Amino acid sequence: MKYMVIIYGNKDLWASFPPEEAGRAIAEVNAFNRRYAESGELLGAYGLGDELTAKTVRVRDGVPAVTDGPYLEAKEFVSSFFFLDCEDEARALEIAAEYPFASHSAVEVWPVLHEAGTAM
Amino acid sequence: MEDLLRRLTPQVLAALLRRHGALDLCEDAVQEALAAAAADWPVKGLPDNPQGWLVTVARRRLVDLVRSDAARRRREERIVLGAPPSEFLQHIDDVEGSGRDDTLLLLLLCCHPELTPPSQVALTLRAVGGLTTAEIAAAFFVPEATMAQRISRAKQRIRDAGASFAMPPPEQLESRLRAVMHVLYLVFNEGYTTNSGPDIHRPDLTREAIRLTRELLRLRPDDAEVEGLLALMLLTDARRPARTTPQGELIPLAAQDRARWNQDAIREGVDLVTAALRRGPIGAYQLQAAVAAVHDEAPSTEETDWAQVLALYETLDRVSPNPMATVNRAVAAAMVHGPSSGLDLLASVETDERIAGHHLLFAVRGHLLDMAGDALGAAESFSEAARRTNSAPEKRYLAGRARDLRAGAVDPSRH
Repeated sequence: MKYMVIIYGNKDLWASFPPEEAGRAIAEVNAFNRRYAESGELLGAYGLGDELTAKTVRVRDGVPAVTDGPYLEAKEFVSSFFFLDCEDEARALEIAAEYPFASHSAVEVWPVLHEAGTAM
Repeated sequence: MEDLLRRLTPQVLAALLRRHGALDLCEDAVQEALAAAAADWPVKGLPDNPQGWLVTVARRRLVDLVRSDAARRRREERIVLGAPPSEFLQHIDDVEGSGRDDTLLLLLLCCHPELTPPSQVALTLRAVGGLTTAEIAAAFFVPEATMAQRISRAKQRIRDAGASFAMPPPEQLESRLRAVMHVLYLVFNEGYTTNSGPDIHRPDLTREAIRLTRELLRLRPDDAEVEGLLALMLLTDARRPARTTPQGELIPLAAQDRARWNQDAIREGVDLVTAALRRGPIGAYQLQAAVAAVHDEAPSTEETDWAQVLALYETLDRVSPNPMATVNRAVAAAMVHGPSSGLDLLASVETDERIAGHHLLFAVRGHLLDMAGDALGAAESFSEAARRTNSAPEKRYLAGRARDLRAGAVDPSRH
């Protein structure tokens, strides 16, 4: 069963981390990634660049137009995400709860269509 | 043993290519032979002639590959099966002695102009470097399937382009060699300044780039730019031990403990660049290596010969004009003539679309504004740079500079 876990944030949130805590947070995330890569349940984890560096592509009448910035107007943006391939939804939620950032604000767990079981 | 296998990879591949042509099949066959050796040799011991062993096994695999795919690939079948079977099993004596040119031909083939740079890099690492697809995928943080596809598409393109395992015509050789050097430099940079991921260094890639560039210099001993490229890599890599904290945070050049720089690498790099500049003609890699040499030989930032750095960057900007060289020149100009001179130079390239929005532009402006005493302006620029880099350690370092400047607590040792 495949799930996508999404972590949101913005630069103010990241800037609010004192430097000494940032180092510890990185170590925790690395340990998390290692643990679940080894168990075979983590398919991949990716961090994204700042929303300033995102681009939006719109094609109208066959002509692509590229604009700076993300598509959605929001206060927070997707900052990283990872894919799980695990037993069931309960297991996905259990793993998500161990992600260090879940203790600071929250993480989202999304089932991947056709790849995740239906919740009973 | 891993080193031995990696060293033999291009020779074995070349032996197959010279006889059978098709890069895609030969390359797959060599990978399988390498895997067989990795499984076999530790148990049964090293064969008397490792290279001959690999060529024999690879040729058998090649026949299998062709046979299993026979209907679809009649052309290869004719090529391989047209030769008497004894040829595949004969003792290999036509391999020794020809390794020199073969590696160069392979490099040229892998860096074929029909391929995009990422494909050239991947194919070079696999066919010449002897890395497995999994290793290359891990080095670039992409799934193995993605990398396998990239490599297989690259081989397909080379086949479609009708490229042959032969020396390009003389009028093309120079530009084809430039492409090889560019690929090796990309591999080095990818290892030294990772563009993605949690770690700032991936020494496996820098080591591989240096090894292959050494090999290229052995094959082209009179090429000053190859010499310059190797010097540049060695002189840059020499600072690696001092470039990060044990926690993996970046330390800027000015704050590095120079006692930890690798003196052997510096000596070798300085000798190489000195010889290259004497040999000429002058080129971009030699000039960048010369700048690196000035830094590596200076006891501190203050005692660095900035006038010479500035002169070298001015020459570089003339020899191979590019906005990044101008950004570097701006730093040197600020050290020689004061920050406003550097800021003027920066302003001249800020609208150049090749560099507009690049995080280094903002980082350098932050540095120069800080030199000029404009702490808040500097903090703004560093924040902007932090948001624009895609390297996590760089992001943390730049955000840290901004924070320190805003707090008015600038550590003077960081200048």
